[in-house]
Formats: sequence, C-alpha cells, structure tokens
Amino acid sequence: MPREAEPSLNEKQFVIQALQSNLRLDGRKFDQYRPLEVSFGEQYGVVEVKLGKTRILAKASAEVTVPYVDRPLDGIFTIATELSPMASPAFEVNRPTETEVLLSRLLEKTVRRSGALDTESLCLVAGQKCWHVRVDVHILSHDGDLIDAACFATVASLRHFRKPDTSIENGVLTVYTPAEREPVPLGWLHSPFCVTWSFYGDEGEIAVLDATWLEEAVRVGSCTISLNRHGEICQIAKLGGTPVEALSLLQCTSIALVRVKEFSALLDKKLAEDAKRRDRGGLLAELSAENDR
Amino acid sequence: METERPFVLPGDSIDPSLIPVPRQQDAQTQNSKKQAVLRLGPGLRHMAATGAIVPTVPGQLVVDGRKRSMWVESKGGRYVASVGDVVIGQVQRSAGGDLFYVNLSPYTSNAILPHLAFEGASKKTRPQLAPGALVYARVSLANRHMDPELECVSPATGKADGLGPLVGGTVFDVSLGLARRLLMARSREEGQVAVLDFLGDEGLAFETAIGRNGKVWVRSDSIKTMIAVGRALQKTDEDDLSVDDQRKMVKWLIKSMR
Amino acid sequence: MTHLAPEAALSVLPRADGSAKYSYAGYTVTASVNGPIEAQKRDEQAYEAVVDVIVRPAAGVGGTRERHLESILQSSLSQIILITSFPRGLIQIMLQIESTPENDYVNTKLVQASLNLAIIPALLQTAVLALLSAAVPMKATATSSAVAVVLQDDGAKKMVVDPSPRDIESAQSVHALIFTSHDELLLAESEGDFTVQDWDQAYEVAYNVCCQAEAKKAGTDMMIDDDNDASGSDMRHFIRSTMESKVAADLHWKR
Repeated sequence: MPREAEPSLNEKQFVIQALQSNLRLDGRKFDQYRPLEVSFGEQYGVVEVKLGKTRILAKASAEVTVPYVDRPLDGIFTIATELSPMASPAFEVNRPTETEVLLSRLLEKTVRRSGALDTESLCLVAGQKCWHVRVDVHILSHDGDLIDAACFATVASLRHFRKPDTSIENGVLTVYTPAEREPVPLGWLHSPFCVTWSFYGDEGEIAVLDATWLEEAVRVGSCTISLNRHGEICQIAKLGGTPVEALSLLQCTSIALVRVKEFSALLDKKLAEDAKRRDRGGLLAELSAENDR
Repeated sequence: METERPFVLPGDSIDPSLIPVPRQQDAQTQNSKKQAVLRLGPGLRHMAATGAIVPTVPGQLVVDGRKRSMWVESKGGRYVASVGDVVIGQVQRSAGGDLFYVNLSPYTSNAILPHLAFEGASKKTRPQLAPGALVYARVSLANRHMDPELECVSPATGKADGLGPLVGGTVFDVSLGLARRLLMARSREEGQVAVLDFLGDEGLAFETAIGRNGKVWVRSDSIKTMIAVGRALQKTDEDDLSVDDQRKMVKWLIKSMR
Repeated sequence: MTHLAPEAALSVLPRADGSAKYSYAGYTVTASVNGPIEAQKRDEQAYEAVVDVIVRPAAGVGGTRERHLESILQSSLSQIILITSFPRGLIQIMLQIESTPENDYVNTKLVQASLNLAIIPALLQTAVLALLSAAVPMKATATSSAVAVVLQDDGAKKMVVDPSPRDIESAQSVHALIFTSHDELLLAESEGDFTVQDWDQAYEVAYNVCCQAEAKKAGTDMMIDDDNDASGSDMRHFIRSTMESKVAADLHWKR
C-alpha cells in the first residue's frame, strides 16, 4: 500500500496554535487565496493553473461518437481526473484514493450536473451522431486545495476550447478540419467555480480558505461551495467532519461569492488576453458566431 | 583553495590535471600513507577497472588540494544517509520492544534508532517517543544494503551533545544545499548564509537545530517568531538570495509581520 | 521542416525531487522524478533499484501504446541510472505529455492505434533533464532523435529529422534512436518498410544530431536537407548548457 507522508506532531500542533492566534504559516489572511496564475497553451483547450505550489493541467478535446440511447438529442460530456505519482508518490496509478473519488464527484456535480455546458448543442444528428467532449484534468503537483484549482482549470479549458466546425446538407454531415474552417467555441451557459473552506478548533469555529497540504492535514472539517458569479449555488458539500454553526456557514457562503466574482473577472481577463494574442490581424472577430451572454 | 570549478555532467571525463597528486616530499615522510590517499566525496565514483574518477550527478567539481579531496557540489535532490551526518527524523513507531523506526525523508524506508542509544538510558528507563515526534540524531550506520541506523548519544563519551527528542516548536523543509551551508562552521563566510543571524539582530529570540536531511527545527516562545524564521528560510532557499539580499528580505519580513 | 529551438525549464514542480518541462518540434512534455524512495514489497529487487516509468497522454487515459513507450524508456533509462547504488529502492519517473504537433489537415481521433515513435526523443530528453534536476546518480546522460525515411517523387530517399505528423504519414519508415553521452547506441526502434542501407543512413543522421559536443558543423552529410541544419540541434550541447546555467544559479553563493 502506498505510504502516506504525515506531518510530525510538532508541525500539526504548531499550525493549530498559529491559527488560534490568528496567524497562517505563509502570512496570508484567513479568507485570502494564494496567487492564482493561469496560462493557456498553444492548442485550444490546454490550460495550466498554478495556485501556490499546486499545479493543475487541464485539456479539453472532442470526438464524434454515438449518443446514449436514452438521450438521443444530447451530446456526451465527461470529466476525467487522475491523481498520479507526479502529484505525490503516495498516489498509485489506477488505484483511486478517497481524495480522487471526492475530487471527481465534486467536479461532476459542479460542472456537469449544473448544466454549465449546453449538451444539446453537442448533438449533430439526432440519435446517430454527437460530440463527445472530454476534459482531462492532470494534477501535476499537490499542495492543498485541489478542488478549487481543478474546477477553475476545467472551466478555463472548456471556455478556451474550440471544436471543429460542422455542417449538414441533405442529411450528410461534414466535419471540417482546422485547416478548412476555423474551429468554433462550445455552447457555454454559465461558469461555476468551487470555493473550499477548512475548519479548525473544537467546534469548527475557525474557518480558513485555500488550505495548503499541511493545513489540510490538521483540519477537522471542510466544506466546498460551488457557485457562479450571479450567486447561483450549484452544490454545497460538507462531508462529515466536526459540526459547524449554520450562521458561520452562511458567512462562508457570502465570502465565497466575493471570491467567485474575482475568479470570474480573472478568467475573463485571461481569455481576452489570449484571444488578443492569437488574433493579431483582427480576422478572428469576423469568423466568430458566438452569442454574447 | 578552490579556484577552478568546472561544470560536470554524469559520465564526463575529468581533466587529470585537476586531480590532486601527492607531493614528492610527502611520499618520504611519515605521513606518506595519509597524504597519498585521495578522498572522494558525494557525486563521484571510482571505476576500479580503468582507474578513472567519474562524476555521477550534475554540478560543479570542487577540488580541495589541502585536504586532498574532491566532490561534486549540487543543490537539490533527495537525502541519502551517510555516516556522521546529524539529521532530524520523525518517529514512526516503537517496535520489537527495543527500537524506534524513524523516517528521515518521506517515502523512504525507515531508519532504526535503538531505545538504548540515548543518554542515560537503561533497560528500566527508556525514552518515550510518540509516533510523529521529532528526534535530532546522528547517523551511525549507513550502507546501501541495509536500513540506516541512528544514535542520540556519542558512543565515546556517552553524552548527548544536543541530540535527542525535539519538543515543541516546528520543523521546516529546506533544500539539501541550504542545509549543508547552514551546518558549515563558518556559514556566513563560506556558505554565504546569514539569515538566522539577521533574524537574531532584529531582536527575535529562538533556537534552531539543523538536519542534514533538509530539515530545520525552530522553537521560540512567540509563534510570530517561528513563522518569520520559517518564511525567511524558505525565501532564502527558493529565491537564491545573496547575503545582502537576505538582510533586506529579513527587514522587509519583520516589517510586514508587525 | 525547420523547428524553433528547443526550450527547457528545470525544477518546475516544487514538490517533486526533480522535474523538467521540455518543448521542441510541437511536443511539450513535463516530467517529474521521485527517488531513490522505497519500492513496494512486490516490486523490489534485492541488488538494484527498480526504475518505474509512467507515461500519460494529454487527452484520454492511455492504453497499449503508452505501455509500450513506458517499457522502451524503462529499459533505456535503467541502463544509465546507477541502480546498483540503491538496492530495494525505486526511481519513479512520470512523464505527462502536454501537447503533440497537430495535423491541421486531418481530424484526429482520440485513440491512436499505431505507435508514435516520433515522441520518443521528447520523452527521453525530458526524463533525462528531470533526472539531472533530481541529482539521481547516473553513469552517463543520453540524447535521442527520430528520423523518417521519405520517398521523394524522383525516387531518392530523404532523411527527415524530427518528422512532423505529415512527414510520418507519407514516410516509408520511421526510426527512433537513443545514444548515451559516450556515443554508445542505447536504443533503436523502427517501424515501416526499410532496407539495411536505409537504417544505416538513419543511424548516421541520428548520430550526427545526438553526438555532437560543439556547435553544429555545416553540410556534413549529403543526405540531410539544408533546412534540417537549423533544426535537429546538437542535443548534447543543449542539455549541457541548460544544466550549466541552472547549476551556476544554484551555486551562486560559492566563492
């Protein structure tokens, strides 16, 4: 079995004492995130997110396939996450740990079930052909708060991705290669982000955002809230752990909304910068048929 | 003593003129045997078949003509135990009734620390160390075929000399290169690291223990002090700060934490 | 086909013992190295360390093709790492493919059946740089190159170094070779139809790319197209200069 590296007793006690004195090891405030850096790759749909020492790489890709029998008018959308030994030697290949299962479930509920991606727009020929969009989330480095970073990376890569253009004439479907026609963006409805709070203390009275790996090792409970910038909550997950006052949870949610607005603004800015960088000649603006939302 | 330090990659051939040769007079004197021996430090291996000395890690080749030794200097990597190093280990558990399993770096096999290798320990009074506790120990046995062994007492004098359990405080991770520099006798002149001195100059009171395996233990009455020391060490390590930059960084850190 | 110069960054992943990110000819790979750590009881070897290579593609989970690449790299890297220094140990090398050159003229399917030999040079260089960054003891470094044999209209055969996906499609055979820094051949994998002469020429071309220590000499081999003089950079020189600047930065403190 993979041996999990645990921090020493001294480190654990120190983190708790520091939190009780209102201090964090890297000097941040309790509701402050580490600097979030986003960089897009050359290909559409490739994005690398850095949240302190946590690094996530997400790649979106699309393939034509047959739709599910019970949903002939919808396309298929899957998110695959995998914690490999690159993140930490504690993880083994093909052996999902609890962290991994929780991560993929939270991403499913946040991005897939909330209808962020319009699956009806992925249908090509009803009942016969549709797009299968898949996002592969690779965890390159694990220093805490994987959920928030992975969700950000997933949303960023889907918004950045372009699928090949298609047309139907007389029932014949033509999928154009990137050389024939510029690829088109996906039908995107809203951008959900995750915000994870960690709780400390006998009654979970101390709440902290964006815990590092060491802080995660000593927490007594955690709560992940997924919402978009309009304040619409997709899901709230508090899976076990020390019970927390309802009022403080409400407070956590309102601070989460502030952070999500910041995330949303950051992502919009980065996408705009990337579009400008690619579109040196100004031609792409004419090719776009995207609806402004 | 070290003037030229060529960069080497594993498998490179070393310029024979760099290898220190025993002087003719020494061959005649009583110390001839000692002087004729060339000591190879980390990063080099001796190919018995050809007699060549070959580097095994990338780094700068350092030759000390006086002590007649050579090694390859590099910053990072994972700690590999060697005899005589002082290390900070994390106790995993007590086993067999007479030894502790102690971990020196994550995901490696445990080292063995006998219950009796402490100052004043006997069959009746054994040290009590809980899993997760930290100990400051010296490596007494290390070879690649066996798990390393530690001791918390000097075998000659029976005194602890500062070794033993580390109670309270916290531990920070640093690179192997920085740990080596901090352990140097003249760390400011030769190692170019004076960040702990600067922190002391600013009025912070703390004690430290440095482990060759890339760990620095810090204890102080004030939590802020311990956090400041940890952040200063990590900044010195990650940003490769020079002595002047360390002084400026410490001043900035103290101000921002006030 | 001229490519931009290769780029590499070292120690990009803060929690791994060593890491590197390398991009060239449209391939971008990130590698992490952890070791020497303890091997699982079921995998450990009594007298030497086990080298475990894991390759992950950018999209999809990876299948037989990735396992084949892993076994090729594992056997090559085991020969240059000093595994006898760490009995019962494990050197874990993880390679994450971030991007591969796209063929704009074809809609690529996710699942590729055939083996892609052209990615071996990128995977190997990244792995070697990550091992150097982790200071894992090695016997020598290694460099690698891929060569495609393309039949031209006039019947002559052209050797293309670092072939693009279009080159590979129209090539008769593709060869991947790995050399150590002592000019020894570590690996030769080929696929397609080729004669012994084809292989010899591919070997010469790859040798010139991988085993030059100084700056490139112009026009050494008649078979190399003039365009390729700019690409197929002297890989050995690249690795050396990359590591040298990293080490100089790390050891800035030494007088």
